[in-house]
Amino acid sequence: MTGSLDGVLAHGIGTRSDLPIPAFYAYAGAFAALVVSFLALGLLWADSRFSGDRAGRVVALRLPARPARVLTLLAVVYTAGLLLFGPDTDNPAPYLVYVLFWVGLVPASLLFGPVWRTLNPFRLLPDRPRRALPSRLGYWPAGAGLLAFTWMELVAPEPAAPLTLLIFFILYAATQLTGTLVYGHAWLERGDPFEAYSTLIGHLSPLGRRADGRRVLRNPFDGLDAIAPAPGLVATVCVLLGSTGYDGFSTAPAWVDALQSGPLGRTGLGTLGLLAAIAGVAALYAACLGVAGLIGGARGLAPRFAHSLIPIAIGYLIAHYFSLLVIEGQRAVILTLGLDAEVAQDVVGPGTIATVQVLAIVAGHVAGVVAAHDRSVRLLPPARAVAGQIPLFVLMVCYTLGGLTLLFAA
Amino acid sequence: MAALLVAGCGPMSRTHRDPGNSHEVVTSAPAPAPGEAHAEIRVQGGRVSPPSGWLEARRGQPVRITVTSDVADELHVHGYDVEAELPPGVPVTVRFPAELTGVFEVETHESKLVLTQLAVR
Repeated sequence: MTGSLDGVLAHGIGTRSDLPIPAFYAYAGAFAALVVSFLALGLLWADSRFSGDRAGRVVALRLPARPARVLTLLAVVYTAGLLLFGPDTDNPAPYLVYVLFWVGLVPASLLFGPVWRTLNPFRLLPDRPRRALPSRLGYWPAGAGLLAFTWMELVAPEPAAPLTLLIFFILYAATQLTGTLVYGHAWLERGDPFEAYSTLIGHLSPLGRRADGRRVLRNPFDGLDAIAPAPGLVATVCVLLGSTGYDGFSTAPAWVDALQSGPLGRTGLGTLGLLAAIAGVAALYAACLGVAGLIGGARGLAPRFAHSLIPIAIGYLIAHYFSLLVIEGQRAVILTLGLDAEVAQDVVGPGTIATVQVLAIVAGHVAGVVAAHDRSVRLLPPARAVAGQIPLFVLMVCYTLGGLTLLFAA
Repeated sequence: MAALLVAGCGPMSRTHRDPGNSHEVVTSAPAPAPGEAHAEIRVQGGRVSPPSGWLEARRGQPVRITVTSDVADELHVHGYDVEAELPPGVPVTVRFPAELTGVFEVETHESKLVLTQLAVR
């Protein structure tokens, strides 16, 4: 029982979770989301404006990737050492993994683009593919990896125990090592869950990276538009949305009660709940895109609108992790550096947290609507573009109201 | 034993070492005090009664939680890091002021049950 947290803590780690947002915030957010959706239908441009990968101004930026990756490798070795030999109490390793690394990747990628690509220590391995990466793999390996990580974070019996983290990261490292030795660095782009996660979020950064590797300053909507549809992209985005949604309701008293008194046991029911949340998000997406295709008279729309869910997923992630990052992030720094300081638990009040949560959800919704609108007017015939968007907006309103309901009621 | 149990909770906050976060533990029947947020919880055969719910409190309000467990266990209020040994069958009461806002799990270490969640506004 070393260094483990017990109970059904949200987020894998931490000693507190957020209060429900006040009703006024929930209604204001829902109202804003609905108004923006309807205005977007009538008022936004009639011809596509985003030009994806071609957009932006090239900046002469050469990042010292090799030294950065060596430093990351040292940090990884240090964290592994803490997991193996660190103190039983106040071990900083779980905080480094769940707070600074996993949650920190979101703001870092939003600001600086695909940061894990720049820092990924597996890119120190030589890029000598023995075989070409089969294109049908797409994002499926990354989606499976993200599902495994979120399962460990939200469902595993002891998410913060060193043994749990060691098992996960040994499996992760073995997969990346094998993938890179067989397929070269092309594997890491789609097969490393953290690189795919950071790169997808980084598409919304003003500091973008084109497919040819050049760094550009660009409109985040152009960056979002540059996400190429690939097999498994929808599934990967659904894992992000569904797992964050599960995180939201996993602390609701009724669910806590079911987890600890149900016949399936905590892990069994938790696994079912996580998978059901992801399946629910995916089923809603498939249904709404199917209707959009019928109305718009186009086929195969589902992968081409997955990019518009990325801002919504980021809104969810910020809403659920903001207080964790600012409060438990302090503990990560204090424990790692051995500082003689206390965590300021009240650095952000409930009002600030609720405001950030609602703004993040609504901003994600607005960005998703704009991205979906631009894609619709490009893909659908002009006469059907407006009507074809209605199911997409219904989908986004469902996700947004769902997200607000989780913040309000759970 | 106590050290092992504390270690069982792993990385956790240090607020219990702060001045101003003192708490008291009594094992006698608690005297009712006006204006307290209070919960009385029994653990029997691995079941929590009343079923795990929410204990609402205003910031600064005194909190009293009384727990009776049928097996020896340890009580832990997360965030506040209030801890108390639970001898079998004996009601144990912890009292502390609700000084941190947020939702905090009140749980047992051995049976790993969430007894209630303390919601401080």
